[in-house]
Amino acid sequence: MNPLVNPTAQAVDNVLIYIFGFSALLLLGITVATIYLVVKYRRSKYPEPTSDSHGNMWLEAIWTLLPTLIVLTMFWYGWTNYLGLRNVPEGAMEVKAVGRMWSWQFEYGNGRTTNKLYAPIGKPIKVNITAKDVLHSFYIPAFRIKSDAVPGMDTYVWFQAPEVGSYDIFCAEFCGTGHADMITTAEILSTEDFERWYTEGDVAATGPSRGKQLLEKHGCLGCHSFDGSSSIATTFDILKGTKRKIMSDGVEKEVEVDAEYLRRSIRAPGADLVEGFPPIMPAYGDEINEADLDEIITFLLNGEQKTSINGNKLIEENGCLGCHSTDGSSSIGPGFKGLGGRTSEVKREDQELELKVDAEYLRRAIRDPNHEIVEGYPAIMPSNDHLSDEEIDAIVEELLKK
Amino acid sequence: MSEKTTYTGFWQESPRTGILGWLLTTDHKRIGIMYLGCIITMFIVAAILGLAIRLELIAPGRTIMDAQTYNATFTVHGIIMIFMFLIPSIPAAFGNLLLPIHIGARDVSFPKLNLLSWYCYIVGGLLAVIAIFGGDGAPDTGWTFYVPFSTQTNTNVSLAAFAAFMLGFSSILTGINFVTTVHRLRCKGMKWGRLPLFVWTLYATAWIQVLATPMIGITLVLIILERTFGAGLFDVARGGDPILYQHLFWIYSHPAVYIMILPGMGVISEIIPTFSRKPLFGYWAMALSSLAIAFAGSLVWAHHMYASGMSDLAILIFSFLTFIVAIPSAIKVFNWVSTLYKGSIELAPPMWFALAFIFNFAIGGLGGLALGAAASDIHLHDTTFVVGHFHYVMFGGGGFALFAAMHYWLPKFTGRMYNHKMAVIGWALLFVGFNVTYMAMQAVGIMGMPRRYYDYIPEFTTLNLVATLGSWVMAVGLIIMFANLWHGLRKGRPVGKNPWGGATLEWDIPSPPPLENFGEEDPVVTKGPYEFKGVVADEY
Repeated sequence: MNPLVNPTAQAVDNVLIYIFGFSALLLLGITVATIYLVVKYRRSKYPEPTSDSHGNMWLEAIWTLLPTLIVLTMFWYGWTNYLGLRNVPEGAMEVKAVGRMWSWQFEYGNGRTTNKLYAPIGKPIKVNITAKDVLHSFYIPAFRIKSDAVPGMDTYVWFQAPEVGSYDIFCAEFCGTGHADMITTAEILSTEDFERWYTEGDVAATGPSRGKQLLEKHGCLGCHSFDGSSSIATTFDILKGTKRKIMSDGVEKEVEVDAEYLRRSIRAPGADLVEGFPPIMPAYGDEINEADLDEIITFLLNGEQKTSINGNKLIEENGCLGCHSTDGSSSIGPGFKGLGGRTSEVKREDQELELKVDAEYLRRAIRDPNHEIVEGYPAIMPSNDHLSDEEIDAIVEELLKK
Repeated sequence: MSEKTTYTGFWQESPRTGILGWLLTTDHKRIGIMYLGCIITMFIVAAILGLAIRLELIAPGRTIMDAQTYNATFTVHGIIMIFMFLIPSIPAAFGNLLLPIHIGARDVSFPKLNLLSWYCYIVGGLLAVIAIFGGDGAPDTGWTFYVPFSTQTNTNVSLAAFAAFMLGFSSILTGINFVTTVHRLRCKGMKWGRLPLFVWTLYATAWIQVLATPMIGITLVLIILERTFGAGLFDVARGGDPILYQHLFWIYSHPAVYIMILPGMGVISEIIPTFSRKPLFGYWAMALSSLAIAFAGSLVWAHHMYASGMSDLAILIFSFLTFIVAIPSAIKVFNWVSTLYKGSIELAPPMWFALAFIFNFAIGGLGGLALGAAASDIHLHDTTFVVGHFHYVMFGGGGFALFAAMHYWLPKFTGRMYNHKMAVIGWALLFVGFNVTYMAMQAVGIMGMPRRYYDYIPEFTTLNLVATLGSWVMAVGLIIMFANLWHGLRKGRPVGKNPWGGATLEWDIPSPPPLENFGEEDPVVTKGPYEFKGVVADEY
């Protein structure tokens, strides 16, 4: 299959052009005929009608049968092209989409979850759709695909993107206050970029941190060691705050290892040479992108800790920001800004209480949101059983900082 | 011709005097006038809400209201326009005014039932007003009350659903009355083949009202049970199914759009022959296509649900049936246009509205083809294209037909004529503003803007601005039209029996008609409804 076509949009557009084209002709015919007859047979010219025809069987038969034939071709063309939206090509990549008030969550084969849909160019993508709370509808206008997201039921759409880029995803079924804000995008990446994104995502959730994984991937550990056993390259340890003697432009000086220094050492290793090691490290340019570089640097500075669970990322991916604002503006749920240390009035089992927002309260509020309802807000937040205790702790930690 | 100071005829003749003469009346004309007053009031309220919606959408982001208010506004706009304006508009107002006269009867079969149905309408309307302004806030579900949202929201959904339930009873009672009246009360010589087309369409509509409305009644009661007792019928977790609700809802609500448009088609079928002075082309094709629309239109409900997750086989069947129902509508358009051929055409105000109806309805109907085809509907479903399409049929069709009927028949019932020039100016602004507004909405829908959107991405700005500007032109047109009618029908020049040169029975009796319509002797009909030979229009 030619990877440069957008097959679902093609199927829909064929039908749209056929029907709209025919409709435009018919409308033009009816309008011109009406205007012509009204002008020609105006009363000032024809004070009395020149015919008292009551009808014509042949004409009735023609304009019954002809439209019947035409609309049946429309029906059939519409149906066969519709099948093109339903028959997913072999080997399609599957992504799960869950609609909830008011954001989408996408889940990939490796368990990674995101709030945008990431997919490779030119490959058929099947999106399996369901909803958590009320009806939503998954709609990507660029691919002309739409399917309702129904609680307790699975529906699907598929598409194949012809170009790298960002495509709007809307919710097309009315779902309450935030309906119009339930917008996200399908991020279509090149095959390589997607592969990289996907495999990195693989290790993000469990196992060693992504930074360490990247070090392995880019072959750093061929020379560098973690335990000082290598004589050809420096040792990776928790490098934060350590000092180095380096040769920079032929001048010897002592520097503190920080992010800036590490960045330079990876992008342009020849600029600063650490005493006692040969100048053999290749410069890493485009093959490590900025995000990955940050990941590596964080790991080098801090070692294996905290980097595996990113509270802010979880907040985004779980759609919290669909209802909770971070800039102090009013929204559907209580805002996150200044959450730590706030006192809020809540209702628990019809009792009104004043609570200080602390880690314990926030943990409860995420686990069992409708147990205590903040005054003035609707009891509509879904519970979050899929989050582990560690993940909730990471989220709570971030929330208290906001 | 003498200047009259007060209306005569049924305006003065009543067993009771004063306000009770109206509130306890069983005269079909008085009931019709009361319906008309309520319906126009409702239309004006909902039109103002519609203008507010368009104003909010003039630019992205917040303009005049917050998201929750916006959601309530379009919900209330929809509920009022559908249940309190469109469904009762032509059948209850002009059907009551004209059906008995058209068939040569003195009243409907069950005059007291007729009054009861008006009271059901009033009670339903009052409940709706309470639902909007009282308690926990106006419903915010859209007029479709889709579950599970409608069972979860805290707003006044139960009361609004009960209001619609009451309005449904009003509709059923009117339907029963009209079916019986057409069967039992036709005067001597009024064979089925001599019924004016307006009567045929009211008859077809009445059957839909009787057969389909109970469905919405039970569905809305189920919503109330679900909300109040957690019945679980539409809740997957308890073995229910949210898609089931959509089927139940549309089994009524699709036929309901034919309740809204069929009588409008009847009005147009009266006006075009009169102002062409020529028989309606293809009388039987027109009569039978009305019944065909009523019948086939009852079998197409699930074309609202192609994207719902319904099975592909169901989509195949409903798409096919949907295209079948397009055919009788096309037949009607061809016959209206053919009626003009070799006629003697006078462009009086009712005719302007009738011609605009054909144009608007053609666009609405043809747009419906793209929605009936499975593939294209997947893209267009739940976008503003659907909203534009619906307004083309319901407002450009049903609404314009009501305005046509008001310009055509109200002089008959008040005995006075409005200013023709002002009527055409109002018509022109309305027609232009209407097409600008809803064509822009259709276009932005094709671009992918979902309906019921409070806010939108920048790409959609221009067309939304155009639609809002169009709505202002439309509003000015409506103001001119209503002001001209109001003034003319109260203070305008008196008219005689037959200002337009119509050939149906209402033009043989005084304007305004007397109580019981036909005086001492019942009429005897010897010719069809569109035989204009020898019919002369009165000067006024």
